[in-house]
Amino acid sequence: MGIRERVARLLEEMPRAAQFPSQGATLFVDLERRETVSAFTPLAVTRTVLAGRGANMYYLHRLLDESLTPLHPDIPLIFGSGLLTGLVPSAARGNCTSWSPESGVLLDSNAGDYFPSFLRMNGFDHIVLYGKAPAWTMIVIREGVVTLEDASPYVGMDNIEMREAVAREVGGTWTKNLAMVNITRAGENLVLTSGVMAGPKAVYARGGPGAKMGSLGLKAIVTLAQTHEFPTARPYKPYNRHIAQKLLATSVVKNALSKTGTPFLYKPSRMLGAMGTRNNQETTWTEGLDAEHFDRYRPGMEGCFRCPVNCRPLNDLHKSTPDKYDKGDGPEYVTLGKFGPNLGIDSVEAVIRLNNICNDLGLDTASTGSALGWAFELFQRGLITTKETGGIALQWGDAATIETLLFMTAAREGFGAVLADSTKAVEKGHYPREALRYLIAVKGLGQSDPHDARILKAFALGLAVATRGMDHLRNRATLEINARINDNAAFKSELYGGVVSAEPNGYAGKERAVRACEDIYAVGDSVGMCRFTTKLFNSPTLPGLEEFRTQIANVTGLEFSDAELRQCGLNVMGVERLINHRLGVRRQDDTLPDRWFDEPNPSGPYQGEKIDRQEFDDLLSRFYAISRLTSEGVPEEAWRKQLVGALGQT
Amino acid sequence: MVTVNFPAALQPLSGATLVVRESVHTVGQLVKALDRLVPGLAHELDDPLYNFAVNDELLLHNVDARPVKDGDVIEIVPSMAGG
Repeated sequence: MGIRERVARLLEEMPRAAQFPSQGATLFVDLERRETVSAFTPLAVTRTVLAGRGANMYYLHRLLDESLTPLHPDIPLIFGSGLLTGLVPSAARGNCTSWSPESGVLLDSNAGDYFPSFLRMNGFDHIVLYGKAPAWTMIVIREGVVTLEDASPYVGMDNIEMREAVAREVGGTWTKNLAMVNITRAGENLVLTSGVMAGPKAVYARGGPGAKMGSLGLKAIVTLAQTHEFPTARPYKPYNRHIAQKLLATSVVKNALSKTGTPFLYKPSRMLGAMGTRNNQETTWTEGLDAEHFDRYRPGMEGCFRCPVNCRPLNDLHKSTPDKYDKGDGPEYVTLGKFGPNLGIDSVEAVIRLNNICNDLGLDTASTGSALGWAFELFQRGLITTKETGGIALQWGDAATIETLLFMTAAREGFGAVLADSTKAVEKGHYPREALRYLIAVKGLGQSDPHDARILKAFALGLAVATRGMDHLRNRATLEINARINDNAAFKSELYGGVVSAEPNGYAGKERAVRACEDIYAVGDSVGMCRFTTKLFNSPTLPGLEEFRTQIANVTGLEFSDAELRQCGLNVMGVERLINHRLGVRRQDDTLPDRWFDEPNPSGPYQGEKIDRQEFDDLLSRFYAISRLTSEGVPEEAWRKQLVGALGQT
Repeated sequence: MVTVNFPAALQPLSGATLVVRESVHTVGQLVKALDRLVPGLAHELDDPLYNFAVNDELLLHNVDARPVKDGDVIEIVPSMAGG
């Protein structure tokens, strides 16, 4: 059955009117035939997996043909905003979902800025894209009216130039009424580490969404509409004030995120001996990259639509004759780690400049940094030489060469074509099979953040079981690093619904912490809440299930109990695992890089720590048991039937 | 004598550095001594955001009982692990 038959069958089941106040339509775009049609997500689906990430999984589950390949035009690319996106403070997020050309498993990425909210201002909650456009195309949605326009004038543009050109030629004002998701040259060139840009820095990253969008011949989706209030079931603004006050009163927001942003994370990781350095061969790095050293280059902070936190640092290197990469947005901690210690770079200025280049080139700094770190270690070990790199010596800390390699990657030129194939470099024949020993990746996806998780076992489990591959944003029990919580056993048990060892490097009960985080984060993604302001991510006092269900009821009229909402989070993970199972993922894939099992942590107070294979396997079994998963990591039969009953057969 | 260095967020209350001259043997005792020097500081430190590092060793549990001795340098480190 082809994609058009799958879409037609799905449309037969979908209502033609909104099922609750504030619900937007799902727009299906056949890029090859230049046809559009819209319908609404069924209520049973909303009650099972909510919207945003959750409903994206419904669409992928129903439309995926696993006999194809990720970049085949019959494999859909799906954008979706959350149930509360655009209505609630800090709920400005949406997800982008497909089959990853980089990892070969689920592609699912979350971003904020303005596009997810402004998409809803145009009356759409989801967009499902398929078919290859006969020529480069740009979708423009003006006050809810969809047109497919010629994108050829924008081909070859990277992010900075593209945003300037679109604002000039389409009209509108960024952050007021204009928003866009777009690919860069990297996406056009099917670079597997390319993201879909959602702002100057915001990016749908992880798994190569830029390459997927490029494979459909789609350069951008532009929305243009006045912001407005939504008709809702009940007044919701009074409770919004409660949420905003709760956000701004939370210590981690007040004292860290809104002051310097995420670079705060660098210092505790390096002090702990958990800072992935030189592709995780080492675990600590210079204090010269601590957050305070970025202060003089940070002229201000910005944020996403209607978010009071403003956690995104701007940067300015104060050059007397600056080029376009001497100013920009960021860096976040992930970029600081991946382009600092991971590559042996100790200069604040170099990290900022490389960050700005990646933002313009549309490169996912996590995947690109991982691909670079892997290549540099292979060069160090002699597994590749200047023969393979085209004469380029890959020396740790050589920021100038790394800058050159970024441009080569985006263009797929020379050794850049190897880096552009990311974790697929062995499969593509670029590297010898032995190179896989040094790949820091799970399920084909390089690690998202630089935290070396040989010490904190809950972090390690989270990275192993995350459905999109080695990524901390799906389930990290971040509070494991906070001593006040570890030392309050009763409070910790209450947070996670059972006893979790106080020892960060212990295994006991860590499955509960990961399960609790995975559930609430999946709910957060599906309502559109930012991870940074969701309970359990860096703070126990941020908005959680109680706030989500209260505003879901106020906005949509749909009532959920805390337990029902938590079940929705579990359901999202369950559908993702059903999708991954169809893509060949099994228990053996819920694992970690060999280095973390075999090589002791070389520095810090936990020197010598590593992951014990048997302890880890037992921990994984306990995680499966409390997650209602079989021994192969898929939903148990009764639950699987419930999910398929609600979402429909594939 | 124990030297305690504070992050920017606490400095309006504590200043950049405080020196505790009274005899203390654990981090728990140190916090009480700090509160005597700057009333209200213990309350501010009772926040999951803040970890203690003793001579650059970041403590993740059993903090209050952690021994400190004369000459130690303690740092209050805002600690986040997800971003």
